[in-house]
Amino acid sequence: MKTRVVVVDDHTLFLAGVRAELGDAVDVVGEAGSVAEAVPLIKELDPDVVLLDVHLPDGSGDAVIARVAPERPGVRFLALSVSDAAEDVIAVIRAGARGYVTKTITGEELVDAIRRVGDGDAVFSPRLAGFVLDAFRAGDALGGDAELDELTPREREVLQLIARGYMYKEIAARLHLSVKTVESHVSNVLRKLQLSSRHELTRWATQHRLI
Amino acid sequence: MSHMAAPPFAPSAEGRALAGVCAGIARTLGVDPTLVRLVFAVLALAGGAGVALYLALWAHAKVGRPVLTALLGLAAGSLLLLAVGLGGSAVVGIALVVGGLALALRRGGSFRPDAPISYGGVALAAVGAVLLLPGGDGPTTVVAPGAVIGTLVLIAGPMLWRLALDRDAERAARFRSEERAEVASRVHDSVLQTLALIQRHASEPQRVAALARRQERDLRGWLYGDRPLGDDGASLEAALSAAAADVEELHGVRVELASAGDCAVDEAVHAVLLAAREAMTNAAKFAQVGVIDVYAEATEDEVAVFVRDRGAGFDRAAVPADRRGLLESIERRLERAGGRAAIVSAPGEGTEVELRLPRSAA
Repeated sequence: MKTRVVVVDDHTLFLAGVRAELGDAVDVVGEAGSVAEAVPLIKELDPDVVLLDVHLPDGSGDAVIARVAPERPGVRFLALSVSDAAEDVIAVIRAGARGYVTKTITGEELVDAIRRVGDGDAVFSPRLAGFVLDAFRAGDALGGDAELDELTPREREVLQLIARGYMYKEIAARLHLSVKTVESHVSNVLRKLQLSSRHELTRWATQHRLI
Repeated sequence: MSHMAAPPFAPSAEGRALAGVCAGIARTLGVDPTLVRLVFAVLALAGGAGVALYLALWAHAKVGRPVLTALLGLAAGSLLLLAVGLGGSAVVGIALVVGGLALALRRGGSFRPDAPISYGGVALAAVGAVLLLPGGDGPTTVVAPGAVIGTLVLIAGPMLWRLALDRDAERAARFRSEERAEVASRVHDSVLQTLALIQRHASEPQRVAALARRQERDLRGWLYGDRPLGDDGASLEAALSAAAADVEELHGVRVELASAGDCAVDEAVHAVLLAAREAMTNAAKFAQVGVIDVYAEATEDEVAVFVRDRGAGFDRAAVPADRRGLLESIERRLERAGGRAAIVSAPGEGTEVELRLPRSAA
């Protein structure tokens, strides 16, 4: 069965391009150009995956996730952006997106990313891996849940390899792990990113906004 | 005179003695008409001021002729002042001030700073003020300074206020235009140049794509990274990004750059940068793939840059001498800077160049 996808993006040119690139590989069941349009549409269509622009005219992508997720927990979000502002990307991931890719991604890679997110995997582009490493690095955990506030050495290693451009199976080969194990490391990082109470994460985002 | 405001009262036909002015006022104010008539009678005793005032109000309400009303009002005021015991020049002065201000008010509709100024009215008021200045006997010394100060405030206040507003607006406008000029010059130096280049190379898709990517990087660095447009030496990430754009443009490949942390570029970091650029160029030339992944990490202990491709790869022992030299130059450069380079490759398995520089050596 084809993955049912809703694309949320306010750039019509980009929408048309994505539709053409995705072709028959997935089933694009709906399109929306704003938070206000997207929320009822996604609730109604209940797709497998929402391809979500980080910046929308009437808000940011995390607003869509926050309003849809409680009612449609099965819908998975893949963030997509031309923005390199690290705090925006981290914000949408923390809101619950299962991955982040840049708009320069090729059609083939995008189809693959959508499928993986649809299967429940996390999709980390090299750039996102870099952001996450940076966000988790600043010093020791200050209180909170230590298990959530730190990356394990293995998780760090996996993220570094993703940042260096390794695919999951290449990482598995290099670290002598199974691909499933690599996937679960990445999912754990995602969970920590979303649940961590870590002060540094907020501080880091604030600093990035200020700089 | 259709634009004149409606009269505040209408002469009352009911219970009138003369033209109904007193009865009208009494009704408007809600007092006994006899009281109003008494006031007018007392005023009439003051040199006939009451009579003039009565006529002025009647002219205002009944006939609707403002000039006649004003003249009669002035006459009434003058008579009253004379009756109080003011000197002749003081009366003329006060009359002129009042008349002038009335004229200014009629012309502008208000004394607010945005109302048009009636220069005639202001001049009239000013002449009146001058006449008042010499002072004179008795009550004039009390009334005159107040009248002069009041006139000055009424005339000069709005003008000064308007001047201050104009200056603020001017300053804001200058600030905006300076800002616009700066953005324009930045956009001109980068975006417009690139667009021009793209138009000239419209038939070469690879070059156009490379130009667009480079400009995108540049603009993004400025928008999100507070990095000056075109200033590539500011930090490790900025410099790597510029090098990546160069390689993309020269060799038509895509360089995916990721980073964690950033640092300033000193001599040792500069060596890492040059080595990274060489590694990217090598990959672009020999790997025969479309994408090169570059990852830079700056921590407290170390600066590390990884350049990776999934291309042809090579056997170190079998590479031609000229290319081996290039590889060795990467390694030697890092050693001189106090770091270490490792080149991992095998035929068919791509190549990864690792550049590591301990931070203490930097």
